[in-house]
Amino acid sequence: MIKFRSVGFGYQGAESPIISRASFALNAGEFALVCGPTGSGKSTLLKLMNGLAPHFTGGELSGTILIDGKDVTGHKPHELAELVGYVNQQPEGSFVADTVGEELAYGLEQLGFSPAEMELRIARHAELVGIAQLLEQPLASLSGGQQQRVAIAAAMAAGQRVLVLDEPTSALDASSAAELVALLAKLAKEQGITVLLAEHRLERVLEHIDSVIVVNGDSSVVKSAPREAFKDYRLLPPVVELSQRLKLEPLALSIEEAKRGIATPLAFSKRPNQVIGKQTLAVEKLTVKYGNNVAISEVSLNARAGEVVALMGANGSGKSTMLWAIQGSGARSGGTISRPETTLVPQRAADLLFLNTLAEELAESDKFNEVEQGQTAKLFLELSNRTDPKQHPRDLSAGQQLALVLAVQLVKGTPLILLDEPTRGLDYEAKRHLVAAIRLMQENGRTVLVASHDIEFVAQIANRVYVLEEGKIATQGTTEEILGATGLMPTQIAQIANQPGLLLAEQIGDREN
Amino acid sequence: MPLNPFRASALHPATWWFLGLGLATIASLEVSWLPEVLVIFAAIVLMLTCRENAPWSKSVRFYLWLGAFVVGVRLLFRIIFNSGSTDSAVAFSLVELNLGGVHLLGQVSWLTLEAAATDGLRLAAIIISIGMANTLANPKRLLKSTPGALYEVATAMTVAINLAPQLIESLQRVRKARALRGRSQGISSLNSIVIPALEDSIEQSLGLAASMDARGFGRRGSLTKTQLIATRTLSLGGILLIAFATYFLLATQSQMLAIAFMVSGIIALTLTIRIASTRNLRTRYRRQKPGIKDFSVIGITLTTVVLVVIL
Repeated sequence: MIKFRSVGFGYQGAESPIISRASFALNAGEFALVCGPTGSGKSTLLKLMNGLAPHFTGGELSGTILIDGKDVTGHKPHELAELVGYVNQQPEGSFVADTVGEELAYGLEQLGFSPAEMELRIARHAELVGIAQLLEQPLASLSGGQQQRVAIAAAMAAGQRVLVLDEPTSALDASSAAELVALLAKLAKEQGITVLLAEHRLERVLEHIDSVIVVNGDSSVVKSAPREAFKDYRLLPPVVELSQRLKLEPLALSIEEAKRGIATPLAFSKRPNQVIGKQTLAVEKLTVKYGNNVAISEVSLNARAGEVVALMGANGSGKSTMLWAIQGSGARSGGTISRPETTLVPQRAADLLFLNTLAEELAESDKFNEVEQGQTAKLFLELSNRTDPKQHPRDLSAGQQLALVLAVQLVKGTPLILLDEPTRGLDYEAKRHLVAAIRLMQENGRTVLVASHDIEFVAQIANRVYVLEEGKIATQGTTEEILGATGLMPTQIAQIANQPGLLLAEQIGDREN
Repeated sequence: MPLNPFRASALHPATWWFLGLGLATIASLEVSWLPEVLVIFAAIVLMLTCRENAPWSKSVRFYLWLGAFVVGVRLLFRIIFNSGSTDSAVAFSLVELNLGGVHLLGQVSWLTLEAAATDGLRLAAIIISIGMANTLANPKRLLKSTPGALYEVATAMTVAINLAPQLIESLQRVRKARALRGRSQGISSLNSIVIPALEDSIEQSLGLAASMDARGFGRRGSLTKTQLIATRTLSLGGILLIAFATYFLLATQSQMLAIAFMVSGIIALTLTIRIASTRNLRTRYRRQKPGIKDFSVIGITLTTVVLVVIL
């Protein structure tokens, strides 16, 4: 279905190309994962499929790309619209119409389908992705998962045989993400559509995919079977890390496979979960209302020095609202908050950056926070790898931006730190840096309150978890209670081993041969 | 309002605009306060009963406040710049100030107040009538009714209209975030807030453009050679005719000639758009055609306007 013949892509004047000599082929009905560290060129590879690269991004393309036997190089995106459907990270940003039905119709209108044919196709594809009852709804009223389904139906309504998706689950909580990936697998299997999916959180997709295309960041692109690809891959989801540690042969990629392949009980070391610090944060019956909408209703929580507390729950359950209210600049309609001096790192960390180079940002932070020159830079180096100080902050990867904002905000040394969804858009490497940074704060006796729906991340850092549901605390407990084998949201390892207290692959030592 | 039988989408968006402009015309022709109040009342009732839960429907309160503000300012100015007429019953009197021959404040009569209120109400009625059309007519559905040749321009306009609220949202978000960090003196706050927000908006618009392109926006067929010649001649001719018409209208007395040129100019331009639209491959999904309801609303509006003019 798709054939790359020695494809190269790069920008003029850049040191090295983004992609060079990529050659691979994908069959009809193949579900392929595109992975690699942030900034490695995953998005670029996807955009090559329908001409968005180079027509929207600039740059130079060499080699041949064949889709369904047609040479697509040199064609503009709108000339390839009936061949390739494209879905990006934020569906709400790419919607053209007001209602679901009109959105599905948009592509069909552009391609000149007759009104009767349109009705037919819209009905069929809405049925296929499970949004048939939403056709008359305004797009703005849908949940994130529903919006992505609309975007998918719209991208394939004209009969496209190739579906390209750029991190479609990045804004979704775990269960809607799992449903979406299952839907894509079904489309590939039952409709014979070739699906290319870029995704950071490999644990969400591993069990469904047929092949993996790794974009390495050194401009090499390699396609292989999943088992082969992850044998010595550095960026790993927990299941694979576990089977690597246990030297499982063949590698287990899904929880089911790991359950079958691993003899339990496993020997493991306990997660350190002792907190002895004094209470630093106390929230009593906090209520936040926007007009008649109750966003937070009588929530009480507390945290101690040296403790990491996680706020979990689906999108819209009130996690962010909580953090902003605790920080003080968000609305509060009732209740009391007693807290020490506090720093908040918002969901879109880049909003805090406003200067032209990394070096200027670091210097400004030293000046404003009245710390010794170079302090912020030192902290930044701890949180990230070496980075050219002349780079524009907007050109940094998501992980580097977060590291910069963390450095700027943490250099103040406030006793309470609030982090809003910090792992959004981070790859495993960047996440590892973040985990190390949070553990360091904890050792230094600071309190960290983090809102996240990333189960594996929370299991790595948190002492306690509060689960919010529609602005109320649905349940709370230690991380072992909530994310352990019998908890509400078990981690992958907890599901596999089913042993109380075992949550993470790192708790299991490497097995000797 | 999901359970509303009188939905705005029951009528063609152009009909709502016709009705809004009709009400505005009536308001501007009337001279006493009662009809103005009736127009305002009608517009408000329509807005509140027919509006749908859509982004463009959320500005009702804004138009009402603007109307009230206009009436208030009108009254206030009349009271301050009061010529001191005492030909009717005095409502209340204030200390009169005399600033070099200009009389301020002083005695205010009922008649003055009534005239000021009527003036204010007339403006308010016009604002609220237009506001009603804007609240009830879906801009995107109106776009669907534009001829194919103008589709690209119209799309650019709707995208721009939709971008404005998004830019405001970005600005608010960035400002809120910026307060978290603080900044040392000497760094312009304008740069630090406007630049990230603008970058955000531009990025989003580019994302939207990429998505539209990926779905086939921008496809077009080609015109034959004769069609090409015809559109060029007609569009040039049409513009020239309208230019002549304007000249005749402004510089000479020959109004009939002006009207003749104007009409033929418009016909030429309409033909251009017609022909140019044939190279458009686009089809329309559920194109809303004006129905009996639309024609009756238009008919009633026209009749009322004519009656107001005659009486």
